[in-house]
Amino acid sequence: MTVEVRGLAKRFGRTTVLDNVDLRVGPGVTGLLGPNGAGKTTLLRCLATTLAPDAGEISAFGLDPARHEQRTALRRRLGYLPQDPGFYPHFTVFELLDYVAILKELTDRSRRHREIRRVLAEVELADRARTKVRKLSGGMKQRLALAQTLIADPDLLVLDEPTVGLDPEQRMRFRALASRLGESRTVLLSTHQTEDVAALCERVIVLTAGRVVFDGTPEELAGVAAGRVWISDTPPAASTLFWRTADGRYRTLGECPPSGETVAPAIEDGYLLLLGATSANAGEGAA
Amino acid sequence: MHRFFARRREPPPIGSDSDDAELLLAVAAERTEALKILHRRHAPWLRVRLSRRCADPDLVDEAIQDAFVAVWRDAHRYRPTKGDAAAWIWTIAVRRLISSLRRTATIPPLARLEDTVGVRPVVESAEDAVLVGVEHGELGTALARLSPELRAAIQATVLDGLTTREAAQLLGIPEGTVKTRVMRAKAQLRGFLA
Amino acid sequence: MSGMSEMSAVWHPPADLVRRYATGGLDPVQVMSVEAHLARCGGCRTALPYEPEWLAESWERIEDVVDRPWPGLGVRVLCRFGVPEHVAGLLSATPSLSRAWLVAVISVLGFAVGSARVTSGDPDALLAFLVVAPVLPVAGVAMAYGRAVDPAYEMQAATPLSGSRLFLLRAVAVLTVALGLTAGATLLFPGPLGASAAWLLPALALSLGMLVLSGHLPPLLAGSLLAAGWFGAVLICDGVLHDRFLPFQPAAQGLYGVAVLVMLPLVCLRHRRLAPGEHQ
Repeated sequence: MTVEVRGLAKRFGRTTVLDNVDLRVGPGVTGLLGPNGAGKTTLLRCLATTLAPDAGEISAFGLDPARHEQRTALRRRLGYLPQDPGFYPHFTVFELLDYVAILKELTDRSRRHREIRRVLAEVELADRARTKVRKLSGGMKQRLALAQTLIADPDLLVLDEPTVGLDPEQRMRFRALASRLGESRTVLLSTHQTEDVAALCERVIVLTAGRVVFDGTPEELAGVAAGRVWISDTPPAASTLFWRTADGRYRTLGECPPSGETVAPAIEDGYLLLLGATSANAGEGAA
Repeated sequence: MHRFFARRREPPPIGSDSDDAELLLAVAAERTEALKILHRRHAPWLRVRLSRRCADPDLVDEAIQDAFVAVWRDAHRYRPTKGDAAAWIWTIAVRRLISSLRRTATIPPLARLEDTVGVRPVVESAEDAVLVGVEHGELGTALARLSPELRAAIQATVLDGLTTREAAQLLGIPEGTVKTRVMRAKAQLRGFLA
Repeated sequence: MSGMSEMSAVWHPPADLVRRYATGGLDPVQVMSVEAHLARCGGCRTALPYEPEWLAESWERIEDVVDRPWPGLGVRVLCRFGVPEHVAGLLSATPSLSRAWLVAVISVLGFAVGSARVTSGDPDALLAFLVVAPVLPVAGVAMAYGRAVDPAYEMQAATPLSGSRLFLLRAVAVLTVALGLTAGATLLFPGPLGASAAWLLPALALSLGMLVLSGHLPPLLAGSLLAAGWFGAVLICDGVLHDRFLPFQPAAQGLYGVAVLVMLPLVCLRHRRLAPGEHQ
């Protein structure tokens, strides 16, 4: 296991953001799924050594980020894409990467510049090297932020919503890049997109209200909704979640509608059901 | 009015089959891939040709690098109407070689002197037309009969397109000597060809 | 270009001749002939044999020059003074070494010098200068590092150089610049140098206090506390003890000197453990 987390807790003021989180993440691509405010960003920041937890232990490559020397050693093997990566807008793309590369201890100039050109090519920004950061589009900024994580070829990549702002084609390219990285490294990414999880994660962890409520393969997550996804010709009772499909029938998640037949669940179904089951105590309660 | 000034000249799409002028236009728009294609296309022959004028491979490599960096900076100054791009790049490269020779203040380690003959690419003259098929041509015979020193002087000034001062630096002789050798060479050639 | 294709249609040197030209096995007139042709014929130029490794190496060196940003003025100046290139690059992103901050400091100092000169050595102008000057370096360090002042903080915080090393580097650079500029202003001040240089020891003491406190607090908070403490002390001297210049008298200066001597080894010994407000 690359990363092991035990009993992690974090509060901001009176709000509990992480509540006794246990995790083990190994090589490959692991997706962290959860609604806004579930604690995904806080968890990733703790793993990326930019935030100290109130309680609990983190160990990555056997290194403890709470200790100064080990924290620095861990950072040498880490690539981190923050949720809201700030930039220096007056820097050019190349200058910004140059700066981060120095922070990653690449002191030799020609080696550093070779590395910068490599990561620029990875995210297809090579022709923007001399563009000022403030002139980049949202998708380009996101790719620049991604390029920055790849500098010095880290063993552990912590990516907070890497596909935000990417158009469909760029998202495909990101998936190709992430799965290639996942062949030999540990990639932990958070996302809202169940398609991202389905497309590239070997494992998925669902976080709601600061707790891990699911940990398994994407197929297992879909399996949570097995036997609870229905197709029917008449609309079900208004209290359940349903929508009209393109062929004029009704797709329902949860209780069986009149004359409904079950269909194979998708990851999204399992995810939605998990969210409902954990937040709606007053509801009918999925046993 | 405003739109006219604000419009940016979009470089044409380029590839390895684009011609030099198109590539230089793209280089002027700061596209490194265009410079890379130009480098792939011109660096090999520049290296061979410069090596015939300077036996130190490091100085030749340095001149080629400097030349392409200069092409990068000055590509916007290139005008296709003023001559072939290859000739333009050659001129830059040979001048870079001369200035690095001057900087290192070495006596130019000339390649075998009798080998150091080149032809300036953009000379529009009868001589030039004959040179293309020179092996059995009259001018070829005439040049072969010149002494190596005189031939080198002709090569540097007339054919490589250098000024007298640059030729003097390349050959490691005083400017006055270059001038007299060029005059003597021309007189002899006229005699041989008459 | 048209001339080239016209010529190349006429005659091409045989491939063997071109190869021998490249390896140096031709007589002078043949060389001339081949070069004349190559100058006009793109096809024969590309047919010249070459070493791919040589080409790749040559291109890499060109690309390194062409594709890298021209270093900014600050970086070039620092490199001129013998600062390693990568260290200069690091300093280039310091928020309080930005042009805006430098302009602000220079305006404050310029205003102080200007008003002192206009009023020809009015003690009020001198006092204002002496009170403000020690706070400038503290403010600079406070604004040099931290989540609150650095837009790219979160991204940098996960890199090995962040934390104490980056903070100290930036702090030393900012202190040097701020102390240097203030010293320059002092030289332009009218009146005896001894009086106008009385800010130096308090400035050093506050700066070192800043470095010590930053091991435990975010720099911005540490700076605010120190500045508030300093201004408070000045106000107490004026309002309660009725001596406006008390903070700059020899006794007070001795106190600053002792504080500096105590804190200097503390900073030097414990600088590795400095964690400027990070990881909290």
